[in-house]
Amino acid sequence: MSTNASTATATRKLTIARAMAEATAQEMRADPRVFVMGEDVGPLGGVFGNTRGLFDEFGPDRVRDTPISETAFIGAAVGAASDGMRPIVELMFVDFFGVCMDAIYNLMAKNTYFSGGKVKVPMVLMTSTGGGYSDAGQHSQCLYGTFAHLPGMKVVVPSNAFDAKGLMTAAIRDDNPVVFMYHKALQGMGWLGTEKGATVPVPEESYSVEIGRAAVVREGHDVTLVSLGVGVHHCLRAAKALEEEGFSAEVVDLRSLVPLDRDTVRASVARTGRLIVVDEDYHSYGVSGEIIASVAEHAGCRLKAAPKRVAYPDIPIPFAPTMEQWALPNADKVVAAFHQMMRES
Amino acid sequence: MTTEIAVPEDLWEGDTEGVITSWLVSDGAEVAQGDLVAEVMVEKAQYEIEAPLSGRLAIVKEEDEVVAKGSVIATLES
Repeated sequence: MSTNASTATATRKLTIARAMAEATAQEMRADPRVFVMGEDVGPLGGVFGNTRGLFDEFGPDRVRDTPISETAFIGAAVGAASDGMRPIVELMFVDFFGVCMDAIYNLMAKNTYFSGGKVKVPMVLMTSTGGGYSDAGQHSQCLYGTFAHLPGMKVVVPSNAFDAKGLMTAAIRDDNPVVFMYHKALQGMGWLGTEKGATVPVPEESYSVEIGRAAVVREGHDVTLVSLGVGVHHCLRAAKALEEEGFSAEVVDLRSLVPLDRDTVRASVARTGRLIVVDEDYHSYGVSGEIIASVAEHAGCRLKAAPKRVAYPDIPIPFAPTMEQWALPNADKVVAAFHQMMRES
Repeated sequence: MTTEIAVPEDLWEGDTEGVITSWLVSDGAEVAQGDLVAEVMVEKAQYEIEAPLSGRLAIVKEEDEVVAKGSVIATLES
């Protein structure tokens, strides 16, 4: 079963954390080569809940707690994947990539190319992103653009539990390395701020969501709001607010950064003529710039107004709650960006 | 018959209050006995609440509401 649309037939809802664990468990039952490694992924079930239940079902050989050395266990996963296993490893906070980037982008992302296609590296690197709960500058970044910029690995970012389960299943089955970036505010963990819109009905049977396909999650004709992860929920709230003012906003959930579904974004902007990109990653050199460029450089581009972005300012993430909340994208900022766009055009 | 779903007295140690982080079924949904219906977080640890019997569930305590042991968080109509 492969699908691109959320179905609301089931009454059972899951958080993204549970959806990730369920997809992982189903793939582990089906394929003995799949195993999990990382810090606190074992009896604790992951600090963000996404490996809960796996240790009890599969035991310490297939759900392995590691020492605090991302370099060692991500490097080990690349070796295991190159030798026929299908590891899932967790980089607990994406901010920690600094110590293990060689294993990620020189080994994981490039070994297939360097070997002329003889070596496959079928591994999933799952990692938490985002802030909003005062965890400061080394635990709150998104870094979507950093990973999507480097060739050789797929990058997915779910905004809800249905997509999270389907994308996780697809990522585990993929013969390429996939970076699975999940936003902490969508995990259903109370202390991280709970976005209710991410907890949605999820089928119990296994299914995959194709990597590389964006979704139009709300249709509209006055402006296209493009986002990913928690930003999709900001956009949906902004679209509701704009509807009360008489404007109709379309919302595109990218779901995947690599491959990037430029066609869906361009087709939407072709209908609306206006584009606002919402991204919790840094403003400059990132996803928001790439989306705007992808639309602007397209020969068929006909914009009614200069595009805008609501992104994170180019500053280290503040610890102080008032300062952090000031910096984060939100629905009000999206609505304000639309108002400014209409004044300017 | 209406049955209350209360936070079990032995769900966690001590008398600390918790918060409902997620409802895993919608208000008004039919649930079966033993279904996982909600998650409660206490000091960064999550605890699960199951349906004590089958029936139609009505939510009393919403997400982000504070609950104590014994708090009624939903009712079941069976």
